[in-house]
Amino acid sequence: MMVIFGTMAQLVPVVLEVGHFAVDLYYIIYPLLFIGTLLMVIGFHYYPSFLLFGGVVSFVAFSIFLLETFLTILKVKKLNFVISTVLIANIFLLFGLIIGILLAFGYSGEININIYQFLKAHVYLVLVGYVGVTIMGMSLILLPMFWLSHSFSWIYVKNALVILCVGILLVVFSSFIDIQFFEYIGYSFTFLALLLYFFQIFIIYRTRVRLEIDIYFKSMMFSYICLLTSIIMGIIYMFYPIQTLLLSLSWLGIFGFITFLITGHLYKIIPFLVWYERFSPYVGKRKVPMLADMIPVKSANMQFLFSTFGVVVISIGLLFINEVVYKSGVSLLSVGAIFLLKDILYMIRFKEDVF
Amino acid sequence: MYSKEEIFKAVSTVNDPEVGFNLVEMGLIYDAICNENMEVTVTMTLSTKACPLHQMILQWVEEAILKELQKTKKVIINLVWEPTWNITMATDKVKSKLSTF
Repeated sequence: MMVIFGTMAQLVPVVLEVGHFAVDLYYIIYPLLFIGTLLMVIGFHYYPSFLLFGGVVSFVAFSIFLLETFLTILKVKKLNFVISTVLIANIFLLFGLIIGILLAFGYSGEININIYQFLKAHVYLVLVGYVGVTIMGMSLILLPMFWLSHSFSWIYVKNALVILCVGILLVVFSSFIDIQFFEYIGYSFTFLALLLYFFQIFIIYRTRVRLEIDIYFKSMMFSYICLLTSIIMGIIYMFYPIQTLLLSLSWLGIFGFITFLITGHLYKIIPFLVWYERFSPYVGKRKVPMLADMIPVKSANMQFLFSTFGVVVISIGLLFINEVVYKSGVSLLSVGAIFLLKDILYMIRFKEDVF
Repeated sequence: MYSKEEIFKAVSTVNDPEVGFNLVEMGLIYDAICNENMEVTVTMTLSTKACPLHQMILQWVEEAILKELQKTKKVIINLVWEPTWNITMATDKVKSKLSTF
């Protein structure tokens, strides 16, 4: 969530074409979110009463984020599709948060609620509603920008958004009114929306001008392959509800898709931010590096290699409940994470004398 | 008065840091004219509306003209989105680099 919030701090003004209402509020959001997360980790593992404190601190952090975002949206004169996705995603987050804080009260024993019902609604609202809709909107800005794709129709993603919203509402309502039929319709709508979104991405891919196979391209490709695999496995799961299949598809959907989408963009966004801060004042005055010069190519490829193998091996381990395979995947993924950290530090520390 | 070619040459000192080519090679500069008052008007576009360097690129163009063509009194940048930029507007060098796997 911290990475997503950081990205939103950067992207919201680009997408909304207005400045933040008060960008300095992010200096409050981050420490609060960190403390809240830490308290909740302690709460989940050792002392459930900490969940309440962690939940409240995180709730405050999220609320400040939401307030800032809504006030920024109010500055927008005309709503377009991408701005609408930002608005809808944040409305889902608002309701997800309300349910989340009730969950924290329930876990800590302060109130008596059906944890499973609340948890399902909370996860669906935050993960699919907020993260999913945000990805849907942001990728429509970022992918064409980095791939230089032009003149494509947005019809598929527009339909995907509507269908996804209906699907989310059905799943959330069904978790409270306990009618399984609505739940399955909701899941079906979600899969249909994801398929349409995937097709939209394919169209952007087909209309791209930049054909270089850089770390960004590879990460995006792997990410969307994971999404497609996850969708296919999800459809199979609806007919053959095997628990390990659900685990494996969730892993691919969350880690394979979302994480690679994020790490791929880190290789674009971090060099840009560092370049903007450190080198842009010297444009036209002396030689400055290109953004591509700031990426450690070999190390980034190693990161990609280890991480992709890690994701695939873990998903196989989960699918066949094989602990050795699972742990092998975790090891590969850990090495990939070390490379990622190294690359991020390299990009952040990129200075003129390096160039 | 400066010719169109002179203005294009001045603007060609500005590179797109993401793609690595100058704005003229990219085909982003549509037109340039200098009037008798030494006011230079550049009609240009960007590769995408969402370009985060939007404002900076316009500033770099202005600075490049003022630096290279020192008699310039004023720079007017006319940013347009029609016709939309596409790869056919770029030079063959750019096309071949971007289209290389």
